[in-house]
Amino acid sequence: MITALELGLIYAIVALGVYLTFRILNFPDLTVDGSFTSGAATAAILIVNGVNPFLATGAAFVVGALAGLITGLLHTKGNINGLLAGILTMIGLYSINLRIMGGANIPLLGEDTTISLLRQFAGSGWTSVLVLVAVALVFKIILDWFLHTDAGLALQATGDNEQMIRSFAVSTDRMKITGLMLSNGLVGLAGAVVAQHQGFADIGMGIGLILVGLASVIVGQAIFGTRVVIQATMAVVLGAVIYRLAIQLALNAGLNPNDMKLMSAILVIAALLLPQWDGFRKFSARRRRGRSALHAAAEATLTKDANIDGKKVS
Amino acid sequence: MLNVTHVSKTFFPGTVNERKALVDVSLTLSPGDFVTVIGSNGAGKSTVLNTVAGRISQDQGVVSLDGRDVSKLKEHQRAAQVGRVFQDPMAGTSPNLTIEENLSLADKRGRRRGLGLGVTRAKRERFAEALKVLELGLEDRLKTKVGLLSGGQRQALSLLMATFSQPKILLLDEHTAALDPQRAELVTRLTKKVVEEQGLTTLMVTHNMVQALEVGNRLIMMHEGRIILDVSEAEKSKLTPADLLAEFGKIKGAALDDKTLLQ
Repeated sequence: MITALELGLIYAIVALGVYLTFRILNFPDLTVDGSFTSGAATAAILIVNGVNPFLATGAAFVVGALAGLITGLLHTKGNINGLLAGILTMIGLYSINLRIMGGANIPLLGEDTTISLLRQFAGSGWTSVLVLVAVALVFKIILDWFLHTDAGLALQATGDNEQMIRSFAVSTDRMKITGLMLSNGLVGLAGAVVAQHQGFADIGMGIGLILVGLASVIVGQAIFGTRVVIQATMAVVLGAVIYRLAIQLALNAGLNPNDMKLMSAILVIAALLLPQWDGFRKFSARRRRGRSALHAAAEATLTKDANIDGKKVS
Repeated sequence: MLNVTHVSKTFFPGTVNERKALVDVSLTLSPGDFVTVIGSNGAGKSTVLNTVAGRISQDQGVVSLDGRDVSKLKEHQRAAQVGRVFQDPMAGTSPNLTIEENLSLADKRGRRRGLGLGVTRAKRERFAEALKVLELGLEDRLKTKVGLLSGGQRQALSLLMATFSQPKILLLDEHTAALDPQRAELVTRLTKKVVEEQGLTTLMVTHNMVQALEVGNRLIMMHEGRIILDVSEAEKSKLTPADLLAEFGKIKGAALDDKTLLQ
């Protein structure tokens, strides 16, 4: 339970990153599968070589951001479809990650890590959970603040109405690259912390991460709503925790850890399909006025303006 | 203020779909000029606007703004000096952002967008003051998402945003065409008011001949990528829609004659 909460709070940083590209920029970025591992690999190799773990975690942010930069350049300057640009970077990163680590994994047992320091000061009970709650909230608040700055508003508008924001003298290319760098930086940093939490970095740890992020965003926003940015980011953080708790429940129910990828996929599929089913619609129509938040959230994932339409209907 | 010199543009050159959108078009707007552009579909009206805005790059010719050659500048670079309102009421605003956030985006046109807060108390007061001009009560709905507004409200807001940071030139692309008559009337009235107050140099494309005659101090008629009529303020005041239709008829007739001759 404690471990699930801790992991959920760390993965909340991934979810915030995915929220930034997927929801704000309206860009399905698959780079995260690679940049998560890159962050973990970078931090692990630095920690093993005696670098301060906080510095190493910061370096993971930079490496993640560089991965985002590559996807951004491929997409904007190279005119490559966004989905494909992300896949290309992700595949390329697999080799790079192996090079960084010099092997398929790096154990961190016995090293000074951010998590080992956390254990020294806060143990491994509720205190440490509280510390991680604070950390996740700090990232959430920084993102909230950024999205409300002049630059952040331009970033939001880029995902919302590209033609319009270009007519107000904003380079949408630069905004997309900025968003991708920030998003992958956050994901890389989260990868570094996850590696330190589990005590090793592994080449396969990023596989399917996009689904984890997506599930957190969709589930969180379906339950807690998306009306304003502050609410939406809170929903994303809580979504990540709920997702991790659900995984824990599935494990307790006797499922194998190897089944988890399938569970993530099924969870996301269910979140996308359920709202299209008539029975569910009738049920949720009775339960709420208009359409359900889950419906709106799922549709917003599929189409750009859907969540606005959703609000108009109600 | 705006100089378009010998600009040509051909779409899909060398294919069966080849279309000459602009043929050696030259146009000069003095500061404060308000020019209305009419013409049938495919006459090249919107292409002129898009060429000035940088959305379409011309094959030949030069576009210069305020004495500076901007032909090589990208759309977003030119946008620092060019305000635009589109035909689609949904196109000029960001639906998921609030009214005040949209205005904040417009307010920063051509200036560095840094890490300062987009909406502050001082800015909010200024935005509310500016919104009063629209007489739509939007000043009391600053925190409403723009996506919840009606088409007419959004278009009025688009107009305010496009002119908010005093662009050197304002481009209006049939910006009242998608609205119901009442709303179109409102937006036309606002357009006149804003352009007059700020003395904006304006290029307005329209399909509505009454509007084309009623608004602005100069009228241009286009046909098949050329400017075929350029009417100054004095002559324009004497024209009626019937005159314009007759002019259209003449061109159509001429085109028909050519065709009959060729057959």
